[in-house]
Amino acid sequence: MPRTQFPYPRKSSMPSPYTSARTSPYTRRRTLKALAPYLLAGLALLCLLIWLGSGGSSSAATYRPPGTPEVVIVTTIDPRLSESYKKNIKENRQDYASRHGYATFFPNTTDYDLMPNSPETWSTIPALRHAMTKWPHTPWLFYLTGTALIMNPAESLQDKVLEPRKLESMMITDRPVVPPDSVIKTFSHLRGERVDFVLTQDREGLAGGSLLIRTGEWAKFFLDAWYDPLYRSYNFQKAEGHALEHIVQWHGTILAKLALVPQRILNSYSRDSGGGNDDGLYQEGDFIANFHGCQRDQSRNCEEEMGPLMNRWRELRDQERRK
Amino acid sequence: MSLDRSPSRERGGWSSPGLTTPFEEANGKSYGGLDGKQDVSWAKARANSARVQDSQGQGFISRHYRRLSESLPHFAHGGQEDRFAEKEKLGRGRASRTSFKELPRRLGLLLSRRRKPVAVFVLMLLAVFAWFQKPISYWYRRTSVLGGGSKFVIILAANQGGGVMEWKGAREWAIERDSVKNKKRYVSEWGYELDIVDMSTKKRYAHEWRESWEKVDVIRNAMRKYPNAEWFWWLDLNTFVMEPTYSLQSHIFNHLDRTTYRDINVYNPLHIQHPPNGTSGDPNAPQYANYLDPECLSAEGDGDPNSINLIIPQDCGGFNLGSFFVRRSAWTDRLLDIWWDPVFYEQKHMEWEHKEQDALEYIYTNQPWVRPHVAFISQRLVNAFPNGACGDDRGLPDGGCAAVRPGDGLDPKECGVQGIHYQERARDFVVNMAGCEWGRDCWGEMYNFRQLSNRLNRSRWERFKDWWGDSMEKSKAESEQQQQQQQG
Repeated sequence: MPRTQFPYPRKSSMPSPYTSARTSPYTRRRTLKALAPYLLAGLALLCLLIWLGSGGSSSAATYRPPGTPEVVIVTTIDPRLSESYKKNIKENRQDYASRHGYATFFPNTTDYDLMPNSPETWSTIPALRHAMTKWPHTPWLFYLTGTALIMNPAESLQDKVLEPRKLESMMITDRPVVPPDSVIKTFSHLRGERVDFVLTQDREGLAGGSLLIRTGEWAKFFLDAWYDPLYRSYNFQKAEGHALEHIVQWHGTILAKLALVPQRILNSYSRDSGGGNDDGLYQEGDFIANFHGCQRDQSRNCEEEMGPLMNRWRELRDQERRK
Repeated sequence: MSLDRSPSRERGGWSSPGLTTPFEEANGKSYGGLDGKQDVSWAKARANSARVQDSQGQGFISRHYRRLSESLPHFAHGGQEDRFAEKEKLGRGRASRTSFKELPRRLGLLLSRRRKPVAVFVLMLLAVFAWFQKPISYWYRRTSVLGGGSKFVIILAANQGGGVMEWKGAREWAIERDSVKNKKRYVSEWGYELDIVDMSTKKRYAHEWRESWEKVDVIRNAMRKYPNAEWFWWLDLNTFVMEPTYSLQSHIFNHLDRTTYRDINVYNPLHIQHPPNGTSGDPNAPQYANYLDPECLSAEGDGDPNSINLIIPQDCGGFNLGSFFVRRSAWTDRLLDIWWDPVFYEQKHMEWEHKEQDALEYIYTNQPWVRPHVAFISQRLVNAFPNGACGDDRGLPDGGCAAVRPGDGLDPKECGVQGIHYQERARDFVVNMAGCEWGRDCWGEMYNFRQLSNRLNRSRWERFKDWWGDSMEKSKAESEQQQQQQQG
């Protein structure tokens, strides 16, 4: 059958499927091209918002309400001590705290439910845990034993120790944790930001009379582990002091957070207290004077020993006030 | 003539060519200013320049008018206006408006135009998928972004107690072979990692305190070996994955908040006190008996499933470490570190006959920092026991577990958190033949569970074959019976 030939394509009432199929993806592509920058911008904005949102939530974790003290000074006090002694100790801490905007916390050594027969010195640890509960946003805890005095309150703890670069320059690396011959040594490379626990060493071992702990998950772990009932019942000769040496030497996650600093930075021993390093003895101008062992030793009297330095501290304070 | 006036009559206006606009030429106004008699005033210059700017703007539009309008969908059909008008008369609406409805038609057109190559391509793609279906799904399930299988490591403790202490017999070898094969098959299904560790009592531990406390070391090694994995699933050798079609993600981890519970008081066979309160239980406890932070005191931790780092099932006697999950985190490092301690060990090693399990229970009880990150899971989800372990199987209630409501006083039997024993009806995931080495038959149990698992997970074809065989046998038996009756 011969085909009918038309001189030009017949115009039909139906639109040709080919033309519409061709023009419409074409126009759509053009539209897409024109809209692409806006779409991309919108997407970028969305990403930015998401990023900001996630950043916001992470910063909420480290949120610190205004008025949060940088450091809480914790001293456990034996309620059987004389009132004047207790008052002096508190006054000494409060003076330092008020200069730098720190808080103080003075629980009694009998305030915590220690197990029967465990020495009261163990109360240090629940006291620190308690301080962390009371000041949940404070970054550092400073424990100072009740037999020590703050003699030089001029410098804040941040400037003195806690600033990471300063800490790195001071910390003692690769030193046996318990002198002279423990095989466990402090880390030789440790970044100041990673340190969560700062303390000093005396001649016998770790000196727990003055220590700094960064609050947080690690601190909870460390304090709870240190306070474990099996350590308390183990009859360590120096109670929590030996328990501390034990966990630092046996548990790498604790050793990894520890920085030792020279004794006189945080914990100078007074002249007549035993066990001080030769270069750990108190000299005028040192931060702390610790009358180490005056409570344990029956022949010594802390209040009497402290008398002269207490007067000296008052003198210095009054001098400064008069200026 | 001052220089202010235009130097050129012919071009008109100012000398720069861009200033001659069609408007000026059309209305001839600019020529009026160029007859040389009229001064060029400031106002006129300003008007001119304004016009110049104006015409520049117009120039931009007019220059790009076509392109701009082309890019707009409804101006695109240039000279074909009438065609669309026709279309609208037919009540079809505009093509660009109904683009989604037309998509299949367009695709059809596309295909019809390149019919052959497309068909070949599609066929080849299908063939590739069919042929490599296993490896492709394996790869997909493994990837950390899509399936997430490589985030899970199964640690299988093989050769437990073997080595220098005792020789293994044929049954022990068979158990080990079956168990390993079962885990390998499960892992190949879902793209998880499998770390088979040799737990034989090693010489280096034989004279040491830490004898057979290797769980901690093994988990640590696995974490080092698979640095990108997140969750580590410890499995004892005497376990059997009954349902290899369950993925860990869909079974447990996609909805941790529903599959696990954190509050120890929900099911507490050890009677661990929560919240932790002091230590001596003294009724006249001093002033600050509870000095812990709210998170440790809370029964639920912070309530966020992301803070769960350890998932343990509890059987009738307390924690069960036959099958448990631990997640890589700083918290886990600390737990693994404190789990074994010489002072604990020295005081307790006679008492703690389940070693790590007892030590973990002790640490959970006595160190509050652990609690906010531990979650419990009901035994039947990951560690179901066979009948005889932890008492007898109590079965499911009549209407299944869904029929039991907390308030109606029905006996929940094996439902919920106190469900311990394997339930075939509920198709439990993993079975653990715990304690079979003491007076039960390990190999027998393993064999039975393997057969059961195979039967439950038959393919349709196998089901059909079995059904056919069964019915044939039945009819045969019936006809034989009839014959016997007739004879008798």
